[in-house]
Amino acid sequence: MTAIVVHAAPVRWWRSRAVNRFMRHHLALVGIAMITLLVLACAIGPHALPYDSLHIDLRARFAPPLTGQHYFGTDPLGRDLAVRLLMAGRVSLLVGFSAMLLSTLIGTLVGVTAGYRGGWVGAALMRMVDGFLSYPSIFLVLALAATLRPSPVMITVIIAVTSWMETARIVEAEVRSLREREFVQAARMVGLRRGHIMFREVLPNAVGPIIVAASLAVARAILLEAYISFLGYGIQPPLPSWGNMLNGAQQYLASAPWLAIIPGAAITIAVTSFNFIGDGLRDALDVRNDHI
Amino acid sequence: MTEAKTASIYSRRSALQLMIAGAAGLAGSNLLDKPALARTSPAKPTGRVIVGLGQEPTVFNPLMVHIEVDDGVHFSVFDALFRIDPQGVIQPNLALEVPDQKNGGITEDGLKWRIRLRDDVRWHDGKPFTAEDVKFTLELIMNPNFRSWRTAGHALVRDITVISPTEISWRMEEAFAPYLSFLTETFIVPKHVLEKEANPNSAAFNQAPIGTGPFKWGQRVAGDHLELVANLDYFGEGPHIERLVFKYIPDLTVLYTQFKSGDIDLVGQPYITPDHYAEAKTLPNRVVTLVPRTSFESFYLNLERPQFKELAVREALYAAIDKEAIIQGLYYGVPSPTETFMPRQSFFFNANLPLHQFDVNRAGKILDQAGWAKGGDGIRTKNGVRLSFTNSTTSGDPLREQVQQFLQQTFAQLGVEMKISNLPAAVMWGEFWMQSQFDSVIVGSSYLIGADPDVTNRLHSRSIAAKGGRGSNNAQYANPEVDALLDKGARTFDPEARRAIYFRVQELVRRDLPFLPLYQSNAVEGLKKGINGFVPNGNTRTESWNALAWYWAS
Amino acid sequence: MSGFLLNRLSQSIVLLVIVSIIGFTVLNLMPGGPLAQFGLDPGMTQKDVERLATQLGLNRPLWIQYLDWAWRLLQGDWGHSFRDGSSVLAVIGRHLLATLLLMGTSTALAIAVGTWIGIRGATHRYSLFDYCATIGAMVALSVPTFWFGLIGIYIFTLKLGWVPAGNMYTIGDGSVLDYLHHLILPSLVLSLVHVAIWSRYMRTATLDALSQDFVKTARAKGVSERRILLKHVVGNALLPMITLAGMQLPSILTGALVTETVFTWPGMGRLFLDSLGYSDYPVVMGLLIFSAILVVLGNLIADIVIATVDPRIRLG
Repeated sequence: MTAIVVHAAPVRWWRSRAVNRFMRHHLALVGIAMITLLVLACAIGPHALPYDSLHIDLRARFAPPLTGQHYFGTDPLGRDLAVRLLMAGRVSLLVGFSAMLLSTLIGTLVGVTAGYRGGWVGAALMRMVDGFLSYPSIFLVLALAATLRPSPVMITVIIAVTSWMETARIVEAEVRSLREREFVQAARMVGLRRGHIMFREVLPNAVGPIIVAASLAVARAILLEAYISFLGYGIQPPLPSWGNMLNGAQQYLASAPWLAIIPGAAITIAVTSFNFIGDGLRDALDVRNDHI
Repeated sequence: MTEAKTASIYSRRSALQLMIAGAAGLAGSNLLDKPALARTSPAKPTGRVIVGLGQEPTVFNPLMVHIEVDDGVHFSVFDALFRIDPQGVIQPNLALEVPDQKNGGITEDGLKWRIRLRDDVRWHDGKPFTAEDVKFTLELIMNPNFRSWRTAGHALVRDITVISPTEISWRMEEAFAPYLSFLTETFIVPKHVLEKEANPNSAAFNQAPIGTGPFKWGQRVAGDHLELVANLDYFGEGPHIERLVFKYIPDLTVLYTQFKSGDIDLVGQPYITPDHYAEAKTLPNRVVTLVPRTSFESFYLNLERPQFKELAVREALYAAIDKEAIIQGLYYGVPSPTETFMPRQSFFFNANLPLHQFDVNRAGKILDQAGWAKGGDGIRTKNGVRLSFTNSTTSGDPLREQVQQFLQQTFAQLGVEMKISNLPAAVMWGEFWMQSQFDSVIVGSSYLIGADPDVTNRLHSRSIAAKGGRGSNNAQYANPEVDALLDKGARTFDPEARRAIYFRVQELVRRDLPFLPLYQSNAVEGLKKGINGFVPNGNTRTESWNALAWYWAS
Repeated sequence: MSGFLLNRLSQSIVLLVIVSIIGFTVLNLMPGGPLAQFGLDPGMTQKDVERLATQLGLNRPLWIQYLDWAWRLLQGDWGHSFRDGSSVLAVIGRHLLATLLLMGTSTALAIAVGTWIGIRGATHRYSLFDYCATIGAMVALSVPTFWFGLIGIYIFTLKLGWVPAGNMYTIGDGSVLDYLHHLILPSLVLSLVHVAIWSRYMRTATLDALSQDFVKTARAKGVSERRILLKHVVGNALLPMITLAGMQLPSILTGALVTETVFTWPGMGRLFLDSLGYSDYPVVMGLLIFSAILVVLGNLIADIVIATVDPRIRLG
């Protein structure tokens, strides 16, 4: 099949087919709306509410939701739950997002290298990926969290280090199939350097699956942070995160269930939104759909 | 030279103290009533009791290194030479009588011990118990290849001689009064079973123990529960229940829920959490009592840190702790405030120590006078040292975390910065603790073994592990006067004389404040209404120390 | 095929070695250790601690400890627990049944329910059912499992009292009904995520199959819709299902960990957390190797099945 070069008029990205398809995906739009709301609430909310997230008041402990100005009630130390929830949201969302960035970076690097180079380099790298995937992820996470003093930065690093494998796998598969395409062979014949080919020619074409994986990675990172903090190894008090709020709530399940219900609901909403977005992106960027 | 007083002085004095201190807090226990083994106990063992535990017992060889929950099983399957009763009086168990300097069991210089044993004791496999088993036990503990538990005290024993099947004697390298208490926690194991094992660490015995105790080994479902069955040939009064089950429930809320619903009959370690106490008291068909234990909670300091070297700082920090709020607010009034490491039910408890006063202003003045001025960031400094430090405790303990955050806020008012850094237990109590790598710690621990007041391990300067010592004085506290008193106390057998010594030790420790004492733990122990014969004992580490006396009221 | 298997086997062995080395290093680098649980014992002195450390072999250089462990493993000796001295295999074995019970039930549930939802969603595409199923699957994948378990306990145990508060069976009972009674909530919670995954997978697989030519032919021939579904769609989806099951294998073990914690289930997940908490290195290493073997097996099964189904994919 001969390559036909077609000069098409450049399309603005917001009018491209992918974006069109994304817009038609209702759930993805809902996801974007929810995330925007959440981010706004977490950014502005704590300033709008009259309470401080760190102020302990033992006389106001365990107030149920809608007591006075405490819309969500108070926690065992008398701190307003709504403010803590939003402050925790900042931490959890930030950690989730940063972890995603880091893990995508690592995963992409490894994946592109392994996929393009192939041979024993590729095999070795993929075996390493398999090796990391063999662990109950909990093990690595807990062991690392116990070794390194937990701080939001450390937690981000730990989550990233245990989540890059999925991205690497996806990227490697994609790059491996792209490697045999004509434009890559053309680039090689022209004499472009290997690094240039990898990152300037191949990678931009593999961006689709990476973006999908990234959005799902945020979802997973938020869940993982919640689990680590729930077990007590993650974000340390008094800094709130959705996970460590659940840790403190477990004991009071019978007497103060809202302490457990509310942060959990927040996590679910955030993660669901990212999953919706990821789903929408997958449909939008799926090349097969180009023929529909 | 005072005449050696006997053990009867113990019981008279401590009984008096208990009555004065008020038996109100100890309601529900039969300490002052006649013994619970009345005629209403069934002739043949019947029924089953399920004890819920928050950690899983996994070590069934009582000489191997183990944790507190394993004790419940050991007390039921094995016997020791002596046992310690709730009043702190040592009673004979496998021995015929408690040796002391009056009856010649221990010589005047405290070096030669001679013990007479019962002759009617049999192992669970039918073989008779003899002094050979005692000798074997003591030697096994000191076997360098055996992963034994505590060797303190046993390391001083020499020349163990079996005089007859019911008589044994040995010589101590130095006079060591606490050894009698140690022996109440040293269970005797069968020589004829264990001597055949090439490696005692992995013997089959360790998974199916054979003892002389009121209960025999039944079966175990790992991770779930284990079951013991009554030993019908037991030499003592009992057992009265046919089966004793220890059930493992790692989540404390679930432990309480199962107690409420009746899935378990008795709540074992770590008992009921304080926030459930109010509700637990009102449960129908349940008996819930507060039992003083020997462990106490303290804000423990590392005295080698520049911030804590000055007494003024320690005093100021102590004055800035709102103990009332912590005990009443966070712990629902369950524990009791304390000024010392000695439990208040002990004969050696010094009740005349200066009381703590919560006064942030006074604390501020103390620091001002000592030259700690507030810097630009609100934190006090002196000679380049900022009054800022980290506080750690086991992560995953919500009540302790609440205490930390509460203290953090109060200290901030004082111009002291406290940072929280919690660690999982396996990390927390490793070198971080043992080698004094911490700044400060909130810790709940017991300083006593049995009811013996010897605290050399915790407060003597040669017990500082970080400086090469062989104890666990992790605060690195060194006071020569305390050292001398502790040395003397360990060599003195007379209770009255010891009392004076340890009173003075408590005074000095309270003055020096190597740790800031918060409260003494009271366990919220609960059991079903039908169970009779249950007696709490703060001198043992387990609630199941006398399971042989339990029975179901018909 | 045999060449492929041999290749895979050697790669798997390398994998296991890497896994064990990394695991061993991380475990031993963790501060603290198996002796930390005695740190507060008033009778244990520093001398006792040092003695125990020597007896447990913890003072030897790391690489010697590793080689010693690896050598024994090759001979079939998985080591002995630091806590009670019993053999690691015995310890794992004691907890294996409980995990298999939980895993088996939840997998069966996941496959049954997930398949039904997936197929129904595909055949009634864009209906209310399909829409709800898709959203439901999304939410199910987003809910933190431990939180879901807690809420489940709150509703069904604390408020309604329908199911017991944990453990595998009531002591003294142990009948099949009793086991089931204890099994309901934990297996439901554990299967949540997997129902979602299966339903979405089956939906895609069914859609793919339904658009195939042979289905159009069958319809033209007048074969009933039901028969088409059963014979062609499910039949063709069977092998990919095995693939998915193979890939899901290790993740069920991890999910079981969370569920076993919340529901006090005495399985291997519970064992893992406890052993990690006590730094019982031999048991943790044993569990790691066990899980790594599961991963290798799972991937192997998946790859073999894929290759059998699609001859275009060359093995190796």
